[in-house]
Amino acid sequence: MAIAQARNVDPALIQRTLAQHKPQIRFTLAVCAHCSMCAHSCFLYESRREPKYMPSHKMIHSIGYLFRKKGNVGLQELHSIGNIVWNRCVLCMRCYCPLGVDIPYMIGLARRICREQGVYRLYDEG
Amino acid sequence: MYAFVSGPLALIAFIVFVLGLGIQVFRFFGMTREKEPLNISFPKPRQKDVDALRPPEGVSKKVRLKGTVLGMEPFLAIVTTLFHLLLILTPILLLAHNLMIERAWGISPPSLTEGVTDVLTVAVMGFCLFFFLRRIVSARVRALSTAYDFLLLLLVFLPFLTGFIAYHQLFAYKTVILAHVLAGELMLICIPFTKLVHMIFFFLYRFLLPGEYSFASGSRVWR
Repeated sequence: MAIAQARNVDPALIQRTLAQHKPQIRFTLAVCAHCSMCAHSCFLYESRREPKYMPSHKMIHSIGYLFRKKGNVGLQELHSIGNIVWNRCVLCMRCYCPLGVDIPYMIGLARRICREQGVYRLYDEG
Repeated sequence: MYAFVSGPLALIAFIVFVLGLGIQVFRFFGMTREKEPLNISFPKPRQKDVDALRPPEGVSKKVRLKGTVLGMEPFLAIVTTLFHLLLILTPILLLAHNLMIERAWGISPPSLTEGVTDVLTVAVMGFCLFFFLRRIVSARVRALSTAYDFLLLLLVFLPFLTGFIAYHQLFAYKTVILAHVLAGELMLICIPFTKLVHMIFFFLYRFLLPGEYSFASGSRVWR
């Protein structure tokens, strides 16, 4: 599905959102044991069988990446994160982590950051 | 050296472990808050509507199991459960550990025989090897694995390996037992501050999960 492309990145805005949720993000990334047991709970992973569709993979490479880079990401990186959170995840909230990690919350946060930067889904353009 | 490592240093390791976990529990409750109750009243559904939605007897359980990790990947679910149980129970039920506790504090916790704990130790090491190979062989896990994950696995593996070697006195006993105590203390100190913290967060997260295996009805949300 088409995604609106940003013209530039505003790292300060990303940093502000990250700072608001810093403890939760750090906490979540610290707990994820990289066990991959969440994979089967994602229907997109189930149909495609590619690791990049695993809920944990999507979380680590979206909000996790933004957090590690402290919001200092380029346009290309932002668009690739946009592709993860808008196209590889439908936010159906069905992902299940055996450790209890709140994956949809984290994906939702990454979506919020993308939206703030002008990277969002263009529903009318299919 | 051994007296220091098994005395004051062990005490420090236990204090860091307990305090560290306490701080993490405190942090968790600081990061979350009690959910506001929804003030919406739904009409009570009619019994015949509820019955119509219920799957037939027998099918229900099968379907429910199919949707769980145990239903999807039974081998992995059993191995990981056993691994975590033995990881905690083996050192607690080990006779040599409990004899030291008895000598120090005069209380004797229940112990298994040395033969049994020896087998359990080998099992834990086998499980560690399984998780190591899984991180390399499975494309899914490989996609997520970092050097840090392997390091943590090693951190868990070392106390069991050194303990096994020390018990069988395969090498220089004094050196191995020193390495064993140090490895155990290092693991304890690392638990609250590394990914191993899932030891406590596994339970804490239950406060955030409404409906599924939750504590307090999953009544908390992120602040």
